[in-house]
Amino acid sequence: MQEMGERGGHPKLKELVVEASQALARLDADRLEELALSCQALNRDLAQGDPARRDGDARASLPIECKQAQGDMAVFARVLEATRANLNVMNRLRELRAGRLEYRAGHMAYGESQIQQWRRMESGHGNN
Amino acid sequence: MGTINSALSIASQALDADQQALNVVANNVANANTPGYTEEKPNWQENSPLNIDGVTIGQGVTETGATSVRDKVLTARLDQQQQLASASGSRLTALDTLQALFTPDSGSSSSMAGDIGSDITSFFDTFSSLEANPTNNSDRQAVLSAAKTLSGDISNAAASLDSQRSALDQEASGVTSQVNSLTSAIAQLNQQIMTTSPNADAGTLEDQRQNDLSQLSKLIGINQITTENNGLAITTTSGALLVSGNSSYQMTTGTVNGVTDFFVGNTDITSKLATGGGSLGGYLTARDTDIPSVLNSLDQLAYGISTEVNTQNNAGTDLDGVTGTTANPLYIFSQPTAVSGSAASMSVVMTDPNKIAAAGAGEGTGDNSNAMTMASLANKTIVNGQTPSNYYSSFVSTLGSTVSEVQSENTAQTASVTQLQTQNDALSGVNLNDEASTLTTFERSYQAASQVFAILNSIMASALNLGEQTTVS
Repeated sequence: MQEMGERGGHPKLKELVVEASQALARLDADRLEELALSCQALNRDLAQGDPARRDGDARASLPIECKQAQGDMAVFARVLEATRANLNVMNRLRELRAGRLEYRAGHMAYGESQIQQWRRMESGHGNN
Repeated sequence: MGTINSALSIASQALDADQQALNVVANNVANANTPGYTEEKPNWQENSPLNIDGVTIGQGVTETGATSVRDKVLTARLDQQQQLASASGSRLTALDTLQALFTPDSGSSSSMAGDIGSDITSFFDTFSSLEANPTNNSDRQAVLSAAKTLSGDISNAAASLDSQRSALDQEASGVTSQVNSLTSAIAQLNQQIMTTSPNADAGTLEDQRQNDLSQLSKLIGINQITTENNGLAITTTSGALLVSGNSSYQMTTGTVNGVTDFFVGNTDITSKLATGGGSLGGYLTARDTDIPSVLNSLDQLAYGISTEVNTQNNAGTDLDGVTGTTANPLYIFSQPTAVSGSAASMSVVMTDPNKIAAAGAGEGTGDNSNAMTMASLANKTIVNGQTPSNYYSSFVSTLGSTVSEVQSENTAQTASVTQLQTQNDALSGVNLNDEASTLTTFERSYQAASQVFAILNSIMASALNLGEQTTVS
């Protein structure tokens, strides 16, 4: 968060939203988790009356920052929706491949019994 | 001896198999930077053990070829998202050019349409000046001068829109040959794949076909249908057949109502292509929807101002004491006969400033009542139920909203393509455990982003007092 422009001890909302959209596009989970923590802290500070925002200017700037970030927030919402759709596809794909795995597991079970059979036969051969 | 021979044979076969596998790996390394190449994995097959007199002798393994690690579900989704992203991208480029046309000159940038909003205000303001001095020649000249600026900017804007439409028409037309060469290539690859690998993955041939499909997806909206023997049928999103097995069906163009239309066989698929996706979809949406809509708004504006100003001037008395008639009208602007084409043909036909009818009908030439009425037209709902300035502001604002909307769409779709491409790259050549790990990253990202969104949405809703929050779960 340090590289973002800051006002009143907080990153500007617009920059935060843009950064979140970009991180989501890259699937940068670590960065997104950092941002989630920052947002939680921001929310907590606002709820508790953060000293950095106690002066009139900083408080007055929040609605302005929100208005400036509205367009980027709409973009973020769309990226989130697209991600959800992609995640659904990935989960379906995973299920598909897991199905193949289950088939292989069954196949391996058959192979396993055959191996045991070979082991018994070879063991007999060794004894002879 | 039999056992020793068997052991040597097994070792020899294992070495052969390893060599084949190394070849596959070497091929993967060599093609690491080849666009569209999918990593291959060697297939191992255990040779059937020999059973001689109740004794089983293992026969080792054989490398039976390589299988590409590809996920057709994922690549199909990637192609689909690519079609949407390309469509919004090309439409956005066109809309940006459109918007620039209606952005007033600033600094080094210059707009062909000048500043129509200011032109409207300035034009009606000149009548207010004329009210004060209805016989003053310079005030009369100022009216005609402002009228020329307004009509010039509106007609220039219409001409620029026409040029942009022609440019988009050419770009759209140029896509046809690319589509046709790609569908021909896919049909040929289909033929090779169906012949050489009807029951298994065809490796690099499928890579090439997938690469061509990705390219095609950037150009137009398509549906892919897997057919027997590893074949592939391709249709446009509206169902027009482009490829079936080893046959491709060429897309052709023809001029209809002055623009290029697109055909498969004898069927005109232009309107379906516009909504189908790909860059062609974006070009056609801009050409057939966005530009005509802007042009229509401009026509409405030109028609409303021209007819109302002409009617009012015709109802007054000019400086020579003449009142307009049907046979000899006192028109400032060329009188439009229909809304369509009004902007392109808008011009000032009055050359003599004395013909401006500042005085009311039957009043002396020093009267200013008609000039007052004409000045008041600025505040009357003479363009589609709105004042001229409000109508223009509203239309520019609507255009801006459309650009913003398409920008959002494009950003989201491009992000979606990036995500899928990341996943596709990560999945190509990984085992199921690694795949679970990449999926976990996907889920972590989504969950963290959802949390970020929920908190920010809540903060913004509170700060802006929006009342109702946007919900994205």
